[in-house]
Amino acid sequence: MRSATSPISAQQIAGYGVAAVAAILVLYPVFFLFQAALDVGDPQARPPTAYGFDNFNGILQYPRILLNTLTVSVAATVMALAFGFVMAWILTRTNVPGRHLFEQLMAVPYYLTPLLGALAWSLLGAPESGFINQVWRALGGSGHLIDINTAYGIAWVMALFEGSVAFVMIAAVMKSMDPALEEASQVIGAGRLRTMLRITLPLVVPGVLGAAIFVFAEMLGSFAAALVLGLPSRYYVITTAIYQLVQQYPPKIQVAAAMGVSLFAVMFFMLFLYRRIVMAGSYVTITGKAFRPRVTDVGPLRYVLLGVCLLYLLTAVGLPLATLLYASLQKIAVAFPTAGNWTLDNFRVAMTMNAVRSALTNSLLLGFGTATIGVVLMGLLAWLIYRSRLPASGLIEYVVMFPQAVPRLVFAFGLMWAWVVFPIPIYGTLWLLLIAYITVFLPLGVRTIAGVMLQIDKSLEECAQMCGAPWAFRVRTVTIPLLAPGLVAAWLLLFIASIRELGASILLMGPHSKVITPSIVESWFGTSSELTAALALIQTLVVALAMIVLVAVTRRVGAHPVD
Amino acid sequence: MHASPEVPALSSPPTPHIEVDRLELSYGGVAAVRGVSFNVLPGEQLTLLGPSGCGKTTTLRAIAGLEQPTAGEIRIDGNTVYSAERGINVRAEKRGLSMVFQSYAIWPHMTVFENVAYGLRVRRTGAAEIADKVHTALDMVQMRSFASRRAAQLSGGQQQRVALARAFVFSPSVLLFDEPLSNLDAKLRADMRIELRELQHRLGITSVYVTHDLEEALAMSDRIVVMRDGLIEQTGTPDEIYRLPNSAFVADFVGSANLIQGRHRPDLDTGASIALETVDGRIVHGMAYGRPVGAELVVSVRTVHLRISTEPPAAAQNVWHGSIRQTVFQGDFTQVHVAWGAQNLVVRCAAMEPLAPGRDVYISVEPRHVVLLGG
Amino acid sequence: MPLLGIAAPAVLAQAPLKSPTTVHDFTTNADVAKAEQEGQLVFYCHENEPGTAGIMEGFRKDFPKINTSYVRAQTGALYTKILSERSAGRFDVDVIQLSDLAPAVDFQKKGGYEHYVSPETPAYKPDHLSSPAGSFFWTGVDPAGIAYNTTKVSPADAPKTWQDILNPRWKGAISCKISASGLQFVQWYTLRQLYGAGFWKEFAKQNPHAFDSRVQLFDRLAKGDDMITAIGEYPAYILFKDKGAKVEFVAPADGLPATPLIVGAVSKAPHPEAAKLFVDWAMSKRGQAWYQTNPNLYYGSVRTDAPPMPTGVRLGELKLLYPADWDDYAANRDVFAKEWNGMLGL
Repeated sequence: MRSATSPISAQQIAGYGVAAVAAILVLYPVFFLFQAALDVGDPQARPPTAYGFDNFNGILQYPRILLNTLTVSVAATVMALAFGFVMAWILTRTNVPGRHLFEQLMAVPYYLTPLLGALAWSLLGAPESGFINQVWRALGGSGHLIDINTAYGIAWVMALFEGSVAFVMIAAVMKSMDPALEEASQVIGAGRLRTMLRITLPLVVPGVLGAAIFVFAEMLGSFAAALVLGLPSRYYVITTAIYQLVQQYPPKIQVAAAMGVSLFAVMFFMLFLYRRIVMAGSYVTITGKAFRPRVTDVGPLRYVLLGVCLLYLLTAVGLPLATLLYASLQKIAVAFPTAGNWTLDNFRVAMTMNAVRSALTNSLLLGFGTATIGVVLMGLLAWLIYRSRLPASGLIEYVVMFPQAVPRLVFAFGLMWAWVVFPIPIYGTLWLLLIAYITVFLPLGVRTIAGVMLQIDKSLEECAQMCGAPWAFRVRTVTIPLLAPGLVAAWLLLFIASIRELGASILLMGPHSKVITPSIVESWFGTSSELTAALALIQTLVVALAMIVLVAVTRRVGAHPVD
Repeated sequence: MHASPEVPALSSPPTPHIEVDRLELSYGGVAAVRGVSFNVLPGEQLTLLGPSGCGKTTTLRAIAGLEQPTAGEIRIDGNTVYSAERGINVRAEKRGLSMVFQSYAIWPHMTVFENVAYGLRVRRTGAAEIADKVHTALDMVQMRSFASRRAAQLSGGQQQRVALARAFVFSPSVLLFDEPLSNLDAKLRADMRIELRELQHRLGITSVYVTHDLEEALAMSDRIVVMRDGLIEQTGTPDEIYRLPNSAFVADFVGSANLIQGRHRPDLDTGASIALETVDGRIVHGMAYGRPVGAELVVSVRTVHLRISTEPPAAAQNVWHGSIRQTVFQGDFTQVHVAWGAQNLVVRCAAMEPLAPGRDVYISVEPRHVVLLGG
Repeated sequence: MPLLGIAAPAVLAQAPLKSPTTVHDFTTNADVAKAEQEGQLVFYCHENEPGTAGIMEGFRKDFPKINTSYVRAQTGALYTKILSERSAGRFDVDVIQLSDLAPAVDFQKKGGYEHYVSPETPAYKPDHLSSPAGSFFWTGVDPAGIAYNTTKVSPADAPKTWQDILNPRWKGAISCKISASGLQFVQWYTLRQLYGAGFWKEFAKQNPHAFDSRVQLFDRLAKGDDMITAIGEYPAYILFKDKGAKVEFVAPADGLPATPLIVGAVSKAPHPEAAKLFVDWAMSKRGQAWYQTNPNLYYGSVRTDAPPMPTGVRLGELKLLYPADWDDYAANRDVFAKEWNGMLGL
């Protein structure tokens, strides 16, 4: 018997159209990446003259780099999980004052970007010139107290910022735990500690494990901290090695591509594992009803815990900003400046540089563009994958999540090759960056919107159907208004993500398409650290202002309680 | 205004409004509906009744167009809206039906008025007419004063009424109900049952109603379809289903019943009744009601039809000795468990003085209440 | 008198012979009005950002109607970029400045430069022009000696000759530049010629820190993150001394490796007249003065009539070390890259 089909509808056209766009965006560059990795002929010849696996052998010449990558990633993951777990515990399970405020504030390190942290910590922790070490010596210590240009230094900075991601994931796990399970333990007579070790921990472990794998995958592909802190002492991890191989002369594009593909394979595997553990591809962190976890009254310990929260935020946010400010106001940044060392010159020069003028405007423009187009595209994709009944929606989900497994830098590689030969001249323009951002943020946007979408009861849309509303009418009158708060959140997220983007932009920037974060890096490598600090501060300030304005404007969209 | 359903000419049977023909539906390897056929007559309320997992909701949603069946046909008003063979599957929004959901599905971002007006807006009704119809509908469900309230601020019962108003405001010819009362508390449920029934009569709309609650089904339906495991067990009026269950499942599901097995004793049959002998030799007289009489018989006796007395009753047939095992006080009635030979009988009596366990009693039942079950 | 254009191997468009015009205080064969109509100049440069921005600022001051935009990357990366763009059919660049003669010569062979003979050419010795003239010229010279941090290094310990950079006391506290740097290549080549291949092998044992820009090197030197730098570029030294950094420059007696800074108009440029105008401007006294005095540049000029450098030193007074055989130099590019990258771990 033939299965029944209905005629092609607007719904299906939109669905297939969007799926095709996503597939092209993601797969087209990946093809070029693989092509470059397998190209063993003349690097300048295009298309490649010979294919083979030799480039992968080339990676084996650099065992150090693989070891470094592992060391840094593992250390950073452990630290990030520690921060995230402790903060999640404090903020969801204890009655520390200002809980809700802190939960919001935990997102700030993410906005600040690890690059800023790396710059600041370089100023703080360089073995000779670092402020902390200067203070140490002034207090009578010898040598240096900390050396930020080491594996653990890099891991520390990465963890400070990735910690907020770990926090969000682990907090979600804790919130979805039924408090009755712990209460049962306590009723039987087990003490608080015992309950935590025997009941809570085992329940939380799968979620934490999932977070660990996710964070580890992110660390593998991390770039900014290793770039700023590792390069001086020639400590390479795989991403900075790829960058170096591409930038050096003569560039070793093919080996770099092979490294990129290898990294991609590992990350893909990690993320595959992650999805298995977190139950078959559900990206909803809070499924159905969220329980109100039992809050423990910790008595006067509350204030100690409050101190811990403040300490984390200060270390991750306050300290870097203060350090940058301190350095930017000096001619040559030292811990104990003389009176003559203060200057406003750095800010003056920074304001004249391209990096401030055109890069800022470009970044803000791009942010708007990416967020707006992204929300529409990703909204449609989220609906397509999780709500429509079109076949191949599972396949589309894989395609959309692909970029998660590819480090931005590596992806940019493919993007570079892919779009350079494209007939329409977008190479070197903001359009290329726009395409790149939308592509690499597909997983982020789709995941965020899907999370909100899945919380909306299907029956709300079905009911509209039963009232006779065709697809487009339904989407306009029911789906979108219900999604609005989620869409706004996704918009803001995409906006900030595109402004802080580094890995892809650094390879794709052109003369007319400078953007903020890579230009900070350029400044770091090409000008004095004081000037860079001034630059970074100006840009952070402008972005913060933009965010405040945006949040104020969108607050009016309000949050409707969704049943 | 009291509109009664159209009474068609007696010369021809009424044409069914909805026809479900050999419907089958599987999700990923699990067969939820395994071949279900029934008709719904114009203006009647047909209830799909059964335990969870029996396929009743799936069937309802298939009629609505929210699920895609794998085989069979569905016709509404003579038009085929689904046919596996002919490759037809009309989209839900085009079938001209209406539905009330279990979770009410009230849109929180709209007011009560807007919620109810939705179906009219889809049909591009003029503003004045919308206002008129919406207010009338809200009146009918006593929610008029809530018209400008934000829908998210309503209680469960209020939301239910708004959902109802929304469902009939655009005068659909069919109303589908997916366990609409299951989220309400018992008292409210009982009240809403009556309101819904009155409304349905008033509007004369054909309804298909899904529930697992027996009382609801019996109180509200013109006919009931009892389902189990994706198949229909029995179709009939509430009275038929109650008095004449044709299987052990239906007997026990629709009210509580005792099942008695025994050998047919044709020599003891009278003109009206049949007799069977239980394994411990007791003779039970019952009625066949047209069911096939085999060598082994199973009869069903409702708990409310058994009588317990301390004095020997006057009847000639179906009087036995038994002893009380346990009495359970249930407020409006008392459930008495009686040891009767090799098995236990459960008797439901009006509230009475508790009888001490072990006490010998007489049990009796009229033969017409002993129902032979179908094969 | 107009100079006759000499046919180069891959000559494309020859500028129509006409009298050079004078604009500001220099002569140009470019059509200034047309250049201003083009309104844009795209400049690829190896300099750090303030330096590149500085060059553009100078040009824009004189020709405000021409919008400038630039891409900067270290010479090796820059060259790779322009080559891959051109191989993909993209011709977006008007003028390119490189800090290494080898890629310049290579680019010339590939026909990458526009053949354009500036009327300012006579002010330059043939050594400081392309061969044949018309592809590129030396817009400046960047010499490097040794520099050290005076608070970390006592005058007694201070290095005096090139051999001193091999002293184990500098292990882990000495810096150099990355292999993409033209000047680093020159230093490698010339000191190798002087002291043999073993010199740099010894140097590798010092575990030097390598960086992209001279500003970075001096930044670290000034703050004490490094004690000495093996490639202390004179322009950077001047800049940091001005800022009050405690650094000192050493000019070893054997000479200062120096690299020419090469400017040339690119063929198939999107704004050809602006490109030519820029070349003339850069070659002129006016442009050279800018190059010499802008704090982010401080180049030494090879123009025959150039004034002394801001410190009063004339370029001619320094003992500059250039590769004697430029062809052999160019041929050793890959050897250098391999050895240098190997030293730095990649």
